[in-house]
Amino acid sequence: MTDALESIVQAIAKLDSSDNAKALVTDALSQGFSATEIAEKGIRQGLQVVGEKYEANEYFLSELLYAGSLVGELFELLKPSMKDHQLERKGVIVLGTVKGDIHDLGKNIFKMLADSSGFEVHDLGVDVEPATFVAQVKEARPQMMGLSALLTTSLVEMKDTLDALRTARLKDNLKVLLGGNAVKKEFGTEIGADATALDAVEGLEICKGWTKK
Amino acid sequence: MSTLRERFNAVIHFKKPDILPWLENVYDETLVEWLQQGLPPEQVTVIDWEMGRGGTSLANMTTVKGFNPYPLFGCQSLYGSLLQVDIGPIPRFKQRLLKETDRHLEFITETGAIARRSKTGKYAWYNMPMFVEFPVKDRETWHKYRERLNPEDPRRYPKDWDSEGYIKSFEAYQDGNTMMRFNGFYGFGAEIMGIPTFNLMFYKNPELIHDMIEYWEYFTVETIRSAVETLRDRIDVVYWWEDFADRHGPCISPKLFREFFLPHYKRVIGFLVKNKIDRILMDSDGNINPILDLVAESGINGLWPLEVNSGMNAVEVRKKYGDKFFLIGNLDKSELAKGGQAMKKEVDSKVPVLKEKGGYIPGADHVIPVEMTLERFKEYAEYIKPMLVY
Repeated sequence: MTDALESIVQAIAKLDSSDNAKALVTDALSQGFSATEIAEKGIRQGLQVVGEKYEANEYFLSELLYAGSLVGELFELLKPSMKDHQLERKGVIVLGTVKGDIHDLGKNIFKMLADSSGFEVHDLGVDVEPATFVAQVKEARPQMMGLSALLTTSLVEMKDTLDALRTARLKDNLKVLLGGNAVKKEFGTEIGADATALDAVEGLEICKGWTKK
Repeated sequence: MSTLRERFNAVIHFKKPDILPWLENVYDETLVEWLQQGLPPEQVTVIDWEMGRGGTSLANMTTVKGFNPYPLFGCQSLYGSLLQVDIGPIPRFKQRLLKETDRHLEFITETGAIARRSKTGKYAWYNMPMFVEFPVKDRETWHKYRERLNPEDPRRYPKDWDSEGYIKSFEAYQDGNTMMRFNGFYGFGAEIMGIPTFNLMFYKNPELIHDMIEYWEYFTVETIRSAVETLRDRIDVVYWWEDFADRHGPCISPKLFREFFLPHYKRVIGFLVKNKIDRILMDSDGNINPILDLVAESGINGLWPLEVNSGMNAVEVRKKYGDKFFLIGNLDKSELAKGGQAMKKEVDSKVPVLKEKGGYIPGADHVIPVEMTLERFKEYAEYIKPMLVY
């Protein structure tokens, strides 16, 4: 990797200031790197390192949120030089907090990370009916679905959503990921989800694994 | 035979009581479920005399003050006798409805946040509200909010504060612990700014965070000063609410904790210790393992609830930290709620070994949820009670 792109990776990985990171991106553009190269080999690579540090307990929620915010600013800076179709989409995810639950902190962190990492995310918001998930799967044709729940009383809705997908014959080609404080891995296995994530970073790694070519 | 308060104090000072206390905290909505499942209301309802509905009449009336289910099962409330010092914004924000749809209610809370609550859920509090907006967003809104945090406001203390009677009643209380409770530095910031914004500001605007934490230290010490200097070690334990972790780990890194929080913890705890209050309990859900060295260094020496689902294990904490922390809770509430062998296995894996090591009070690893039926709680009570005797 060239020095200019490596500097961007390091700036994000070390949680540099927004001004410094932006200057590095501007510098890389002036050196003739394409926006796509900067996004893929600089910004996303930097976010990947932050995720690894998070999993290694070197970084925590503050660092993750700051890195997400920083990456968002850098993508904004790149926008004028980049058309959407230039960036590779890693896969499509339909995402939402299940019916009866209105909490979205963890879901929003996952969305931010997945979006910045190249996934196309269709976020249905909170308190989402099983029928709404089914309709969105028919429309967006995702490879993956993320279901979130904070409340233990909402767990039954995760099962209902999975059942609705099976009834509509949509589950076979769809990987379902569960997340949220209420969810245990055993519960995910019990209701037939494909995976359960402890946190947003683990969830993202699972999705990356599913779409690896 | 010791009183419940004496037993509590013995354990938190790593001394052996005659009988180990057992502490629980039950959600009001769990209690409502239990009443529907056959809990006798006359045995748990607390009725007391008061002057006509808050002083509107000279006639003395009986009033339902609440519920106390704990003695019926042989346990005590985690909170014991709580000192009523008001640490909230004064004046309060007026709680009112802002918006209503067929599924949600949106309202402003007494602390100035805008919260959304589900209308369709069976439970009101247990289906926790989702906070959608917070009163503090930047330096300007923080300074505005701070005007409501005046430690000198006389409304922060009970009307009869300083009276001999008040002090004597605190001295005489023996049905559990006496406690002072307030928000910690993370808890306070997250409460008025929201978790994402507060966490982000450590990097985006560290000066603002320093300013907020500095003020919270001043506000805390000056607000509790009169109570602490008057009651001193009649306060058995200080309960510091933080909730600064999720299942992955603490929300802020050890590095940030050391830089932003540690000096302030030390100064507040130094003030408490100078006044002979030496037991400081931190309430944080989630996985706090990565930050426990610093928590110990701050002077905090008690932990609750030690959530099993987040990877906390009281036996491991005891092994690693010895008597640096007294521990309360850590019995997996979801295993307890299953009853039978699952409940017994969970209790057996912790209570006997920690009872012998000392400095441990058994209880669920958070408030008893609605999933715990009355029958299952009775079964748990009958199983654990014989284990409590030394």
